[in-house]
Amino acid sequence: MSKKSILGSVTMVAALTVLLAACGSKSNSSSSSSSSTKQQTFPLATTNKKAAVKGATLNIAVVDDSPFKGVFNEELYDDAYDADFMTPAAESLFGTTSGFKFNDKGAASIKFDNDKKTATIEIKKNVKWSDGKPVTAKDIEYAYEIVANKDTSTSRYTGSLQNIEGLSEYHDGKSKTISGVEMPDGADGQKVILHFKQMKPGFTQSGNGYFLESAAPYHYLKSVPFKKLASSDQVRKSPLFFGPYVMSKIVPGQSVAYTANKYYWKGEPKTKKLTASVVSTSSIVSGLKNKKYDIAMEMPTDNYSSYKNVKGYKILGKEDLSYTYIGFHVGKWDAKKGVNVMDKNAKMNNKSLRQAMSYALNLDEINNKFYPGLRSTGTTLIPPVFKEFHDSSLKGYPLNIKKANKLLDDAGYKKGKDGYRTDPNGKKLTIRFASMAGGDSATAIAQDYIQQWKKIGLRVKLTSGRLLEFQNFYDKIQNDTNDYDVFQAAWSLSSEPSPADLFSEQAPYNFSRFVSKKHNKLIADIDSEASLNADHRKKAFYAWQKWMMDQDYVEPVQYRTNVTPVSNRVKNFTIQWGSSPWNEVELTAKD
Amino acid sequence: MWKTILRRVLIMIPQLILLSILVFILAKMMPGDPFTGLITPQTDPAQIAHLKAAAGLNDPWWTQYFHWVVNMFHGDLGQSYTYKRAVTGLIGERAVNTFWLALLTVVISYGIAIPFGVIAGRYEDTLRDKSIQLYTFVLLAMPSFVFYLFGLVVFGYVLQWFPTSGYVSLNADPGTIGYWGSRLYHMILPALVGGLVSTSGTIQYLRAGVIDNTNEDFVRTARSKGVPERVVFNRHILRNSLLPIAAFLGNSITGLLGGSIYVETIFSYQGMGQLFVSSITANDYSVITALTLLFGFLTLLGNLLSDIIMSIVDPRVRVE
Repeated sequence: MSKKSILGSVTMVAALTVLLAACGSKSNSSSSSSSSTKQQTFPLATTNKKAAVKGATLNIAVVDDSPFKGVFNEELYDDAYDADFMTPAAESLFGTTSGFKFNDKGAASIKFDNDKKTATIEIKKNVKWSDGKPVTAKDIEYAYEIVANKDTSTSRYTGSLQNIEGLSEYHDGKSKTISGVEMPDGADGQKVILHFKQMKPGFTQSGNGYFLESAAPYHYLKSVPFKKLASSDQVRKSPLFFGPYVMSKIVPGQSVAYTANKYYWKGEPKTKKLTASVVSTSSIVSGLKNKKYDIAMEMPTDNYSSYKNVKGYKILGKEDLSYTYIGFHVGKWDAKKGVNVMDKNAKMNNKSLRQAMSYALNLDEINNKFYPGLRSTGTTLIPPVFKEFHDSSLKGYPLNIKKANKLLDDAGYKKGKDGYRTDPNGKKLTIRFASMAGGDSATAIAQDYIQQWKKIGLRVKLTSGRLLEFQNFYDKIQNDTNDYDVFQAAWSLSSEPSPADLFSEQAPYNFSRFVSKKHNKLIADIDSEASLNADHRKKAFYAWQKWMMDQDYVEPVQYRTNVTPVSNRVKNFTIQWGSSPWNEVELTAKD
Repeated sequence: MWKTILRRVLIMIPQLILLSILVFILAKMMPGDPFTGLITPQTDPAQIAHLKAAAGLNDPWWTQYFHWVVNMFHGDLGQSYTYKRAVTGLIGERAVNTFWLALLTVVISYGIAIPFGVIAGRYEDTLRDKSIQLYTFVLLAMPSFVFYLFGLVVFGYVLQWFPTSGYVSLNADPGTIGYWGSRLYHMILPALVGGLVSTSGTIQYLRAGVIDNTNEDFVRTARSKGVPERVVFNRHILRNSLLPIAAFLGNSITGLLGGSIYVETIFSYQGMGQLFVSSITANDYSVITALTLLFGFLTLLGNLLSDIIMSIVDPRVRVE
């Protein structure tokens, strides 16, 4: 479960980004990363050229061991699997490129004016909800009201969104409308102007969190009080979207039937019927072998070898928006002041020690052995999927026991008779490692780390003597309990890679708790006004990555690949970031 | 008899109160809360802290417990944090699924186990007995989930006789005969494999009972008096051999509502077992407390039922 939850949050963002998709289905391949592990190259799209048949139903499996939650509303859902079920029906307002930049190919366009501090959203004329009513300015405003209204109690109301004028006043009930959401042509118009307190360099990148990328059908939802929205039939039984398909029938927790949306703005989709069902991890491989499903979403990677050669399928794959990392704990979070406070005397507050521990790990072997072709060793904190910002000149910390030993020797960590090193003050050194349980390989990997560290004379023990269950792990990490020095966790990333939320001095998610004046400058530069210039921002990202890798408070250990088995009878399907294949997808055989 | 039942029911009240307090404290003692780990770069910790406070999770447990009890008497068990809907509705939906599946499982299980156990005991050491013994040992030795998977792959995927996941077909409309037919159709395979797995214990009990009772004095006496063999077996041997099984019956009826996590997960069948486990891993307090209390109540009820059944079938345990 624990591993899954983390994967769950990974896929949540992944699914989100699929939602924020644009048209255009190029079939090029995902590039492999620059590290020394071989991340296999997977195709991103189907290559089926046969003629399509009419009347066939496309069946999607969503691999999960629990029923879906069923909150089918883009402003309220929390669960990645709900997003999967929404994908064929819910389409993002804006189109994006495969590099996550907004373009004009979506249902609406967005233009920024840095001087006026505004964004102008214009909905295309023929964009209609699946009941035939046009998508209007009011629908966009309503999405903001849903997120910001206190009664919906959604976790999506964030500090980033409060950069919109008047949003927090609306949230606090001081104002009945959001002053920063202007409808120049009236509620029934197709134009919305957002007013910001500050322009951010991340605005042009989808997933930035400063504004919403969805609309909500006001005419359909207005009769439901905000408090009851998440449990209402309008959300759970017959949700309304403007994407290619209509969720025509929902069996709660189990499956969804879709029919073509005849009002879809790009034209009615070619395949008239889809179904999607929850399939357990234990039975999905049998399901594929017997050709029960055409597309399998959320495919587990722990058992990749059991389905990689399954007959009648093609495995599509792309780089995931996530990484696994090792954090070195050097301080604590001061909730009162809202800042991270570094502890100068923390065990891990020694650059040589951190670097030595990173050099000691044999990450290539772990990735090749447990996830052949699906994982590669991390080299920087911006994964290669962000082609524009990833610094491929950085090589991370490849295995080098000699160098690790030298670093420790030079820093005064002397080896005792028992083969273990003492700290520079000559005291016994025991490092406590907190790692999460989950998946088939978690224990083996943690043991391998500990063995590698032993090779350079470091005594490392597991916190609590065993792997920690997900809730227990995050309870420790979020509250800085005093029983761990090193931890391994993972981040799912939004498609806007600004590291401010994860590593700045004011970020509660900076679980290493490191703070540095130099770093404050570097990280601020990424989101500064100067970075409104794309070149400047790229340089700021590079400078930040270099500093982070050198200091090594956070060591990226693994990048991931997402795989999606797709049946050979499927035509025109792609998993490319930024693409929306659903209205084009076809089947070339009856079954 | 009625006095006994009334007394037992009255005792259940303090038992349940104690249980609810215990469960409540234990649930709160688990590390984390429903919002722990709800962290992606897009969620704002300030908003999470705010939601937590609004849900009353920062109050001391007795305050939370008090609110919970008051609401419970208004028929409100709270909102599920993960499902974002009322706990009563959520459990109600799952309980219906679990109940029907469990009922079918029990019918199949006893339907197979009782004749098998009787045959094995009556014809001890014959080929029939040995075959049945072999069957029970294989089932006992095999981890149950392997057997479920085996059933799913053979009958679901390879032979395609039964649906492989879910509790109802997407095409069925609620309220029609087809809808109930579809539900039954979805239940047969999980109930069959679940039922088969649970036969082995019953068969062994029954077989041992039949063999033991055959050598009892009262059986020898009956036989020597010239009572026909059929009567000896049905009245004396079988009836006594069924006693231990009857003692379990009450609990197995109520225990059914607890659901089976393996069957439910493998067949993607939405039931109580899965809900319980997932609510614990997600720290979904309102669901955990409601379910534990329900399960506690069912266990007490099961014990009571067992005692009642025992006093009906076995006059020796009747209390005045």
